[in-house]
Amino acid sequence: MPVYSFYIFDRHAECIYKRRWLPRPTSIAGKSSRATDPQAGPTGLGQTVKAGDDDAKLVFGTVFSLRNMVRKLGGEEDNFVSYSTSQYKLHYYETPTNIKFVMLTDLKSPSMRIALQQIYINLFVEYVVKNPLSPIEHPGGVGVNNELFEESLEQFVTRVLA
Amino acid sequence: MSATKASRIGEEIWKTRIDKVNAELVTLTYGTIVAQLCQDYNSDYQEVNKQLEKMGHNIGMRLIEDFLAKSGVGRCANFRETADMIAKVGFKIFLNVAPTVTNWTSDNNQFSLIFDENPLADFVELPDDGRAQDELWFSNILCGVLRGALEMVQMQIEAHFVSDVLRGDDTTEMRVSLVRYIEDEMPPEEE
Repeated sequence: MPVYSFYIFDRHAECIYKRRWLPRPTSIAGKSSRATDPQAGPTGLGQTVKAGDDDAKLVFGTVFSLRNMVRKLGGEEDNFVSYSTSQYKLHYYETPTNIKFVMLTDLKSPSMRIALQQIYINLFVEYVVKNPLSPIEHPGGVGVNNELFEESLEQFVTRVLA
Repeated sequence: MSATKASRIGEEIWKTRIDKVNAELVTLTYGTIVAQLCQDYNSDYQEVNKQLEKMGHNIGMRLIEDFLAKSGVGRCANFRETADMIAKVGFKIFLNVAPTVTNWTSDNNQFSLIFDENPLADFVELPDDGRAQDELWFSNILCGVLRGALEMVQMQIEAHFVSDVLRGDDTTEMRVSLVRYIEDEMPPEEE
């Protein structure tokens, strides 16, 4: 079940972490029979990749608007979980502290809400928030891109979710 | 969510999900910090209070994430619920005390926390210099922790101690006031 990309946005609407797994390394793609052809799959994503850093801003704008619309229609407690296009599925999880976790996967993927929550609880809080020497806020991603967090995230995505 | 339910949640998390640490270690570590601040600021206790509050603020901003990760609770519906959550879950899981929530104002924006016990202040006797008894709020770090933690969940609050058994008062009481709810921040405008 390929994961295409992953974003974290902080309460100041800034993208503090971004990770993309496509094009997947050939070694992994070769082993997995389910791996999609990077060319055939998310062509839409391929285009945003070319657009550079703008994709994070676009993703934020999308989830921010969608979340606000959902709350207008369904009440303050309501939240959207995911949406799908013909090319990908976007999963969303927001903490009460307004940190937003976004993951893009292929269409066949089951709900990633629990997975995103796990990333928050077991990886983000443990390795980023509790690191006493990392700053409290992460302008430009400072403090989030530490080895423990990145390695664990890599493992989580390649082993647990694969 | 009722206060009793909050108590139950706090109790449950305390029992199952919290790593315990020696109480004296906490008391002595905190005491050392306060003593060092008193020394660094030449017993300017107003300044010490301020520094403690600031340190607490930094702690609170992190602690809230751990609180949410451990408790899994969602947003509180109103400030009364928030107060119970702070007293029965927050203080319970981090300090194993559950202060009493009381003295609400009629607009439900201000309440008091009464501490029957305070692990930070065990063994403590304020200096006999004639000023510490009137000026130093020994546990002022807690005010900062609340301010930092609530700021992260979109509540601007003000917290201060109004009495402390260390000063010879009958109770230890902290006053907490809701200033405003913080609006979501928007991404900066594209130029």
